[in-house]
Amino acid sequence: MNTIQDLFSGFMSFLRGMKITGANLGRDKTTVLYPYEKADVAPRYRGLFVLPFNEANGRLNCTGCTLCIQACPTNVITLTKLGAGKHGGIQDFQMDLGRCMFCNLCVEACPFEAIEMTTQFELASTDRNVCVFPLTSLAQGGAAAAEKNYNTISTALAAEAAEKAAKAAAAGESGGHGAAHAPKEGA
Amino acid sequence: MTSGILRSRRPIRAAEVGLGISITVAIIAIASAIPHLPWQLLKPLTSFVARYPLLNALANAAMVANFVALQCLGFIWLERKFAGWMQARVGPMHVGWKGLLQTVADAVKLLLKEDIVPTDADKPLFALAPYLVFVPSLLTFMVLPFTSAWVGYDLPLGALFVLSISTTSILGVFAAGWGSNNKYSLLGGVRAIAQLLSYDVPLILVMLSVVMLSGTMSLTGIVTQQEKLWNIAAHPLLMIPAFLIFLICTLAEVNRAPFDLPEAESELVSGFHTEYSGMRFAFFFLAEFANNFFSAGLAVTLFFGGWLGAGLPAAVWFTLKTLCVIFLMMWIRWTLPRLRIDQMMSFCWKVLVPASMALICAAAIAGVSH
Amino acid sequence: MVNTATTEQRHTVEVNLGPQHPSTHGVLRLLVELDGEIIVSCRPVIGYLHRGLEKMFEKRSYKQTIPFTDRMDYCASLNGNLAICQAIERLGGLQAPERAQYIRVLLCELNRIASHLVFLATYATDIGATTVFLYAFREREKCLDLMECMTGARLTYNYVRPGGIPQDLPDGFENGLNCFLDDLLKALEENDRLLTGNRIFRGRLEGVGVVSPEMAAAYGASGPVARGSGLNYDVRKTAPYEVYDRLEFDVPVYHTGDCMARYLVRIEEMRQSARIIRQCLKDMPAGEIMCKMPKIFKPPIGQAFSRTESPRGELSFYMVSDGTPNPARVHGRTPSFVHLGMLPAMLPGVKIADVIAILGSLDTVLGEVDR
Repeated sequence: MNTIQDLFSGFMSFLRGMKITGANLGRDKTTVLYPYEKADVAPRYRGLFVLPFNEANGRLNCTGCTLCIQACPTNVITLTKLGAGKHGGIQDFQMDLGRCMFCNLCVEACPFEAIEMTTQFELASTDRNVCVFPLTSLAQGGAAAAEKNYNTISTALAAEAAEKAAKAAAAGESGGHGAAHAPKEGA
Repeated sequence: MTSGILRSRRPIRAAEVGLGISITVAIIAIASAIPHLPWQLLKPLTSFVARYPLLNALANAAMVANFVALQCLGFIWLERKFAGWMQARVGPMHVGWKGLLQTVADAVKLLLKEDIVPTDADKPLFALAPYLVFVPSLLTFMVLPFTSAWVGYDLPLGALFVLSISTTSILGVFAAGWGSNNKYSLLGGVRAIAQLLSYDVPLILVMLSVVMLSGTMSLTGIVTQQEKLWNIAAHPLLMIPAFLIFLICTLAEVNRAPFDLPEAESELVSGFHTEYSGMRFAFFFLAEFANNFFSAGLAVTLFFGGWLGAGLPAAVWFTLKTLCVIFLMMWIRWTLPRLRIDQMMSFCWKVLVPASMALICAAAIAGVSH
Repeated sequence: MVNTATTEQRHTVEVNLGPQHPSTHGVLRLLVELDGEIIVSCRPVIGYLHRGLEKMFEKRSYKQTIPFTDRMDYCASLNGNLAICQAIERLGGLQAPERAQYIRVLLCELNRIASHLVFLATYATDIGATTVFLYAFREREKCLDLMECMTGARLTYNYVRPGGIPQDLPDGFENGLNCFLDDLLKALEENDRLLTGNRIFRGRLEGVGVVSPEMAAAYGASGPVARGSGLNYDVRKTAPYEVYDRLEFDVPVYHTGDCMARYLVRIEEMRQSARIIRQCLKDMPAGEIMCKMPKIFKPPIGQAFSRTESPRGELSFYMVSDGTPNPARVHGRTPSFVHLGMLPAMLPGVKIADVIAILGSLDTVLGEVDR
């Protein structure tokens, strides 16, 4: 008798389960047909990097202070400085996203909001070299922005140098040496 | 409930709801059109073929094989869609309309794949096994009565033929398990033998009880016996348990969950066909689905009056009923977890066999009292 | 069931379950000796995922170690973040603001739900109930959406910082969270009918892989494995951290010690986590989320130990500082590693199908085992 009872309760448990799976036939589906439809990504999503371009100043925010390099746990970032001091900037900025963990530490470390993350997540590639993003693709506005950034900073640096030279010339005869040195720095 | 931050879920679209209905309608339409096709145009050909028995047999065999392959294509698609819907997915969507051609694409892919034979495999056995599995399942279709006229060969001993032929596929399964030289395959093969042999016993007993009530072993005979009332309605006390036992046994025979132990994915990787790829794998797959269709068809023949039914053409009735049984099997498959081998065996020998024995006795009594 | 092991020669087969196997949950290799379907002996072989994380910690600054803990227990990476941040905070004598502590607890519990849902999904698939996998992942997806809104990532959150958390809750988070919890409780109730009550499922789990309380204690088991064996041991209760002492929740304990008990503990824990999250939402004070931190963080010479309750058990970090910006030594005590050590004692005598059931019930994450 026990066996029959056991069998019956087992059978009923199957029926209960089948009721649920059956009910799910008519429920909403969760699938997002990915390449054709894309799910929205949360605004905070940590995707591809961007170096914001400051329209007002005509240059990127980045001053080349290397704090992000120090913050990065996996040595993703390499950069070439352009100038120093008040008009310091970057000539090149390269991120090897093949190493990146998208941990957000560089973004937090940056005091100038010069590096940010976008919600762009489709970064897979079959080639490691494709994972290396140069400044031209990281800068907001692409190669044109990188070029503008370079022009703005180098003109500013040249102006600064010229100003310095003029000041030196006005101050006395000893300024000649400094004026000859300044443009070299800017190059 | 809605909330801004959670993504909205994909609602079922009207087109998708209509999908199942339209497919069913299409099947009915095609099946009803078949008798009205201009068959007489083929008269010269058929009469020519009919003159040569060998040619006739070949033509029939080709038709059955084609039918099996084609129904598998549709069946696999249906199963995928059904499983997908049940699991809150949408199933295949990309190849063809709503993924209708997905199976065709998969078949083409399997055809083009490299044919891999493991280094130390028993090569003849390994090569032979898929056909040893596929041929019996093809053969069983020979006696399955789609309508009174659509029977490959109406054997007077149809039920016996079905039982004996379907059991031989064990040979192929074990050949695959043994020939692959893979421990998972071997374990799968051993499990398959134990399972198929044990579950054959209650299956035979249940079929016998139906045969005893009908007084004939011919499958068409069994159907025509049900002209007045389907078996399941004529002797409900006897036939409902019989149908349940039959269903359980066929689930075990076609290696479907909860009895998919020979190919238990989470334990044995893929069981006896772990090492198979390409076309050989396709044959295992084809055999599984052909078996499934056949088992459902057999259940319909034995318990639900085969092609009998009012209003629609006989073939349509048969297909509809078979589809219903197939859906039931799919439903069970996608709901239940897998049994363990000792539970499976003890369930068979301690529950199913005594129950089917009791059924036989009851059928004998019922047969006498008629 | 009883393995009649004698000294006479047996014909056994050695089978490698893994490292590539559908149900080893990662790259675990189980060298199993089989006598027919019955296990004679088992040897877990680990190390396929070894990345030398402890050495990597030593070469990086304190803050830089956090993203690496994401890669340990990737199903519940927030607990890893929290564990290492607690160790760092103790070294540096930092104290996270109260709001940050509440948010940490909230997210850890949310992560616990996500992790247990992965367990439910994979475990059901191991047992053969494929459909439950997708039902559990449907709920987990909502959970991950919430985590994504909060932290910006779906799996490797890197969200806790020494001294607080980097970002506050986003708009609409509370509403979404409440919706999710409602859905979750409904789904759990449905799961009880679909899976927990299923006769086959119970038959596969009950009485399988029994761990006695003595054995659990001897092996140092923690988390659901210990609680499934009748040990009432939960770090959240025995050594409360963050704001757990202010929250009300039960610790489910089952005494049978089999796979079913461990399964039930996890299912019940999800309900308790939902309870904790609702309390957090209610009690959370407004205020700062980050304490004042020096520009370059150099804790004084010393050592610190943190204990947290991760979904898998007790996750601890031991940290030594030599006064430089980098830790001198870090060691992680990971529960999965401990639990995996129990396998050779649990497996002999069971059927091969039970191996999968037992392994799944321990819920190991190989990223945590190999580190």
